[in-house]
Amino acid sequence: MQNSEKDYNYKEYLLILKECSPYDFSEYSDNSIDRRIKKIMRDQGLNMEELVLKTRTEPDFVEQVVEAITVNTTELFRDPDVWNHILKKVLPALKHQKKINIWHAGCSTGQEVYSLLILLDHLQILDRAEIYATDISKKALEQAKKGQYFYNFNAEKYRENFKASFEGETVPDFDSYFSADADKDLLKIRTDFSEKVQFIKHDLVKGDLPFYNKFDLIFCRNVLIYFQGSLQSKIVERFHENLFPGGTMILGSHESLGGFFKTKFSKNGPVYHRTNSFHFKY
Amino acid sequence: MECTDFKLIVVGGSAGSFSVVSHLLAGLRPDFKLPIVLSLHRLKHVRSGLVEGLSLKSKLRVIEPNDKEKLQQNTVYLAPANYHLFVELDGTVALSTEESHNHSRPSIDHTLGSAAYAYRDKLLGILLTGANRDGAAGMKEIADNKGFTIVQDPLSCDIDTMPKEALKLFRPDRLMNPEDILHFLNALPG
Repeated sequence: MQNSEKDYNYKEYLLILKECSPYDFSEYSDNSIDRRIKKIMRDQGLNMEELVLKTRTEPDFVEQVVEAITVNTTELFRDPDVWNHILKKVLPALKHQKKINIWHAGCSTGQEVYSLLILLDHLQILDRAEIYATDISKKALEQAKKGQYFYNFNAEKYRENFKASFEGETVPDFDSYFSADADKDLLKIRTDFSEKVQFIKHDLVKGDLPFYNKFDLIFCRNVLIYFQGSLQSKIVERFHENLFPGGTMILGSHESLGGFFKTKFSKNGPVYHRTNSFHFKY
Repeated sequence: MECTDFKLIVVGGSAGSFSVVSHLLAGLRPDFKLPIVLSLHRLKHVRSGLVEGLSLKSKLRVIEPNDKEKLQQNTVYLAPANYHLFVELDGTVALSTEESHNHSRPSIDHTLGSAAYAYRDKLLGILLTGANRDGAAGMKEIADNKGFTIVQDPLSCDIDTMPKEALKLFRPDRLMNPEDILHFLNALPG
């Protein structure tokens, strides 16, 4: 009984949030949104009534809520096998294109955006790439723009992932991409790299993209796991529309496509290619 | 005899638990039906290979599930490296990259706690050897939701921090060594 009451309250809170802000979390998956809201209440020492009141009356607080709901864990070359596949199988196919359009949807603090830039640079096709990276979180985007991360906490793991992603190739010099300052605890990506990317605030739940929207590559890693199936489908459908035929979609390693989409994409190793199936009516 | 019509088994373990889990999977009846969810801490540098390692001797299929995958019989689900694994009300798995809990991702508390809420008295929770307190609170949640709880006897543990932390919080239905846990599981109906 206690639990069903609790569920009702969280769902009701999301409706209030939707009503008095541009954000709609109503199709986020119940359990994860439930945990995030609990965390906000705990961290801020608020009960549900106080949470609702602050949400209704303080626009700045709404932004805080959005930041707290968003999960921003990411790392450089997370899942090296995937990056190795992109390096060896996906990017070489784009080598002869004049332009390569890339969208990182839900880029968080940007580590995977820079992972891709490093691969593009290694293959000497970075100058042809047009790269958009979007996220709902303003704070995450600001950090992504800076391309600056804690050094001590990450350095070892990052170097390891980096090396593993280039397996079978000549491994480039990690330090040619990053400047490291152990004293200040900073690891910073080359400025020409961070300036190469257009970081734009965008809520994936919303339809329209604020830029030209046909892509060779769409990255959306470990974002869909926070959404309900219905919303996942909507977004994958949009990715399908936004990809050039034969374009590639890269999801998180433990995200998969439902039955319907299996016909619209063909899976190749850890990535999905848009198929040319015109016989489908949407 | 207590009620034993379980629908799901969840197992948490950390340091030293690989050999115990491996032993359990090797010794289970090949027709063992109940789905088993494993939430095991991994060494930082050994991210992959755990599923292969456990599969070597297991009679049952061992997989790292995808997000929203449905839990099925005769299958062992291992929380993938670097993800939290939650069990949902509809019997599916939800993965998350939320912040570490007790320095752990996967967090045993998260897996056990979510399963406790979803399966209540149909859940069997087992906590094994480990060097971390993660898992203790999750086991208590299982007990609080009327699930059945087995804690590995600290005397039989490589590192007994985890079971001892659990015993501080609640009194489990059974305190057992790995051999007895195996017998208990094989004696379950189905």
